[in-house]
Amino acid sequence: MNKLLTLDQVAASIPDGATVAIGGSALSRKPMAMVRALVRAGVTNLRIVVDIGGPDVDLLIGAGAVREVLYAFVGFEVLGLAPHFRRARQTGTVNFQEWTEYTVMAGLDAAIKRVPFLPTRSGLASSILDVNPAFRRIHDPFGGEDVVAVPRLEPDFALIHVNFADIAGNGVILGDSHVDALCAKAAHTTFMSCDALVDSETLHGYGRNVQILRVYTDGVVEVPWGAHPTSLAPAYRADVPALLEYLQASGNLEHWRAYQTRWVAVDHIGYLNLHGGQQMLQQRLAVLKP
Amino acid sequence: MEYSLDELIIAVMARYLTGEVLVGAVTAFGTLAGIVARHVYAPDLGILSSPESGLDANGFPTLTLAEFFAARDQGIPLTMEEVFDAIFTDHFRIWIHPAQIDRQGSVNISAIGAWERPKVALVGSRGIPEDTSHLSQLLYYILDHSPRTVVEHVDFQSGPGNTDRRATELGPIGSPSVLITNLGVFDFLGPEGTLRVISLHPEVSLETVRMASGFMPAVKEPLATTSAPTAAEIAVIRRYDPLKVRKLEWSQEPDGGRALLAAYHAERTQFLGDLAATPEDRPT
Repeated sequence: MNKLLTLDQVAASIPDGATVAIGGSALSRKPMAMVRALVRAGVTNLRIVVDIGGPDVDLLIGAGAVREVLYAFVGFEVLGLAPHFRRARQTGTVNFQEWTEYTVMAGLDAAIKRVPFLPTRSGLASSILDVNPAFRRIHDPFGGEDVVAVPRLEPDFALIHVNFADIAGNGVILGDSHVDALCAKAAHTTFMSCDALVDSETLHGYGRNVQILRVYTDGVVEVPWGAHPTSLAPAYRADVPALLEYLQASGNLEHWRAYQTRWVAVDHIGYLNLHGGQQMLQQRLAVLKP
Repeated sequence: MEYSLDELIIAVMARYLTGEVLVGAVTAFGTLAGIVARHVYAPDLGILSSPESGLDANGFPTLTLAEFFAARDQGIPLTMEEVFDAIFTDHFRIWIHPAQIDRQGSVNISAIGAWERPKVALVGSRGIPEDTSHLSQLLYYILDHSPRTVVEHVDFQSGPGNTDRRATELGPIGSPSVLITNLGVFDFLGPEGTLRVISLHPEVSLETVRMASGFMPAVKEPLATTSAPTAAEIAVIRRYDPLKVRKLEWSQEPDGGRALLAAYHAERTQFLGDLAATPEDRPT
């Protein structure tokens, strides 16, 4: 089956108020082209589920597209804190639920396994249990120690970006796979962008690196540099100058509006051209082999 | 042999890593500690040179999770399920750099002030609750030991230390083992499992520690001076981090980004020369 879509078709499929799980991790393999398309489409009131968030979550908050975020982490790693996330946390303009790295995985896994919750020791005796009303401490029915019940997370949509995909929706992830497969399986509808399409025969050559199976995929978009300004291992690095510009622009409302007009309100071809085109990005960001 | 404070700290960190476990590589200091340990003391350690490079790769340490040096040696790629299964089965170690640590060894990377309306929202507890409920050894380091980072009570317990609540809800596994700061080395064998100085770095006094802490830690007698890094330890640090990426960890935002750019540039010119940018990632 041919599942090819455009970025605009993906964005138009996601209604206001939807729960959207986003793959990748901080500055790594975020589906940034799809995230920018969502902002351009003017989607609002999203509920975002993310394990390790970065520019994806921060941009959606800064664009006013989000009503709630479930997260284990949101930040820009060595580049510092996420400015819109931080402001929204401190002013209370968005609802937040702090989860943990494994409990987000467990919540998605519970949805996959069609059970109401999965148990874990993670979070016991920590402040997470005090501030996150989603969790329950429960007795072990077999008489052992108490555990934390992690409720299932049922995203309406998952957005993930992978290295290569075929038009049927099989996806190759070459670096760390993060929680992308869990997002794809748990969500009702999964949209996967890829840096390049490959034919199915080529894709089979990747063996176990084919981590996304087509039965979970509803739409495929070919988007070269689709993770930019985050990285796509092993092809290209995170674009640190572009991320620094983002962080700088986020400091004041006027600059932030100008940033969005310049870098978000354009289609993907326009976005790449603003960065000097694919060849320039390749020269600047491609990971080279000594 | 001449050495710098970062080399002293990394060498001491290395000496706490033993056995055949995966060593998480989230920071330059943590990664280098693992590499030093593997080369000098603990050959069976499985260093995750960065999460992008998998296990047993020959990556270079960088400060961001997203970075990786070269595609040619990715090692064994890991899924998150594999990483957390290694944590749950205690086959994992990581040097954690918290924003705050307190007398009982509870740590915070979530929020300064009340969580609901924080004065400063930090990043979120990430995987610390998993580590502090499953690992038999918890390793912490702080590079700016001050009354803001070493506090009587953390504002939020991303990971519980030796608290009463731990005793009733969780038990001892996951409790803090060691804290290394820019001033000294500490364990949690003070009264009722509280922070205790076990050695001071050269030229650091107990008074300095007192002034730099939000409370006075217990003191182990006789108080030792932290052993200097050996020539072997220093050699491994310098060999694996010739661009001194570790120095970036001392700097505060937003200079970290600019320093990282400089390191990228140095990396390209030093290691790669005029190589063309043509990744050959697809199988042939």
